[in-house]
Amino acid sequence: MLQVLFNSLVYASMIAVIAVGVALCYSILRFANFAHIQFAVVGGYLTYSFAAIPGLPLPAAVALSAVATGLIAILVDILVFSRLRDITPEGKMIVSWGVALFIRSVVAIIYGGGGRAFDISSEAVIVGDAVFTTLDALVVAVAAVLMLLLHLFLNRTRIGSGLRALASNADLAVTRGIPGERLIRLMWFLSGALAAIGGTLLAFETRLQPNMDLIILLPVFAAVTIGGLSNVFGAVLGALILSFAQNLLIYVDFGALFGGDSWQIPTQFRDYVAVLALVVVLLLRPRLSPLAGR
Amino acid sequence: MLDFAIYCLTIIAVWSVLGLSLNIQFGLTGLVNFGQVLPFGLGAYAAALAAQAGLPWPAGAALGLVVAVAVSLMVLLPARRLSQDYWALITLGAGELFRLTALNAPSLGGADGLTVPRFADPHLALGAALALMAAAWLVSHRISHSPFGRLLKVLREDEVLAATLGRNPVSYQRTVSIIAWAMAAAGGVLYAHIVGYVSPSSFTVTETFIVWTALILGGPGNNLGVVVGAAAVQLLSVSSRFVASWIDLPADVLANGRLALFGLVLVLMFLFRPQGLVPEKKEVRDAQRR
Repeated sequence: MLQVLFNSLVYASMIAVIAVGVALCYSILRFANFAHIQFAVVGGYLTYSFAAIPGLPLPAAVALSAVATGLIAILVDILVFSRLRDITPEGKMIVSWGVALFIRSVVAIIYGGGGRAFDISSEAVIVGDAVFTTLDALVVAVAAVLMLLLHLFLNRTRIGSGLRALASNADLAVTRGIPGERLIRLMWFLSGALAAIGGTLLAFETRLQPNMDLIILLPVFAAVTIGGLSNVFGAVLGALILSFAQNLLIYVDFGALFGGDSWQIPTQFRDYVAVLALVVVLLLRPRLSPLAGR
Repeated sequence: MLDFAIYCLTIIAVWSVLGLSLNIQFGLTGLVNFGQVLPFGLGAYAAALAAQAGLPWPAGAALGLVVAVAVSLMVLLPARRLSQDYWALITLGAGELFRLTALNAPSLGGADGLTVPRFADPHLALGAALALMAAAWLVSHRISHSPFGRLLKVLREDEVLAATLGRNPVSYQRTVSIIAWAMAAAGGVLYAHIVGYVSPSSFTVTETFIVWTALILGGPGNNLGVVVGAAAVQLLSVSSRFVASWIDLPADVLANGRLALFGLVLVLMFLFRPQGLVPEKKEVRDAQRR
């Protein structure tokens, strides 16, 4: 059972760091940005490239990758989304898929189809009957620190409260002298940089491959939906709930539970939990109706 | 060369059916279906399973349509009364679940997929594809020019207005989904018999966005636009093979370059010509003049 907790924490950390960016974007620009997943992929690959520079330590490579991906996110906003501020949310959502398709294909052209792994030494730590690695601990620690910093930034700084004002009522915020467009750029930078770090953590734990976007797509959007789409820390909670449910379901021996032979749900089916959680949340939250207003 | 032209036309016709199906959902009604590949895949797999069981093709077609309609109702259950963001997420999730199931269930062939008996004669395949496209066109045409279709457009423009007219948006959306998903499933059945096999890699999110690219390129809300868009996208797809043989590009770079181009087209259309190549004619009626 302790093992389930460890595994859930590690997985939730990676998903949460990526998911908060989707929630940030939704809270301010009111659309589900599917291109966000690609920022995570780009970040992972950029870290890989920067890490190959001789003499550059890995943390510096991660930081460089975060800054670069943040700038790419701003570039995407300047080129595409800033010109489409007034179209319907559905339209923006469809455009974000176009952007995603483009970024994904360009990454695949540059880096090729094969998988790449980071060479990170890590030791196993045994607690009772559960095992985690030092890398796992690092991933959780990084995610926790990032979430704490984001919380402090949004709630304790002037710029942070500007962002929150923009999220709660953009027109009023701009009327009151908050520089809307500049803060939107900042929001893009933040979500891009966070996605890059999340993608890098994911690549540390697994490996880099062009279709890693499909692997995290459903978990990330399920986590954000569970948290209520526009709630940044709801997304973190959503990631924790989702991850725990997934790992618990895979851990439980259903065969033995019903008195039969040992049978567990194959791990490939963990994405079913993501979609199932999404469906359950949507069934239980009828207030999300368009007729009820936003 | 003639065989190749026949093959191109057949494929364009099949993708047009998919595009017309998406057009009824998005172009007419405003439903954002990010899992358009799901009914398509259901139809294709139904055809394959029926063929594996030794049943004739009409059995596979019937199975495909029934399953697609049943699944559309299942998907609608959580999506009803939700804003389009959630609708998109639910359909996207359902489509991915289908792909994962096909990939992991041994009875569905896993990653290798299943083989399906092909059309013996490519002319017959072309005829069937064109017939299906004509049928799909006719259905969409009838819908968009009926009172039902006009109400769908009201629903697309303003759901609250439709509700104040005493119409129940949910029941309209349900009818539209059933028709559109059955249409896409029929396209899937045909596709399986044309290509000769089905595998999970043919039904990914990417396929959904190829249909979206065709729809946005051609012009949402316009049947002719959809067919033009599907033809343009598929011709681009096949012609890129020739380009590759001229300038000697590796196959995977080519495949990804093509997808990058589709993504770019989708974005550029939104930026510079959101009404598409063949725009929908918006009907303006003056109530006073009658």
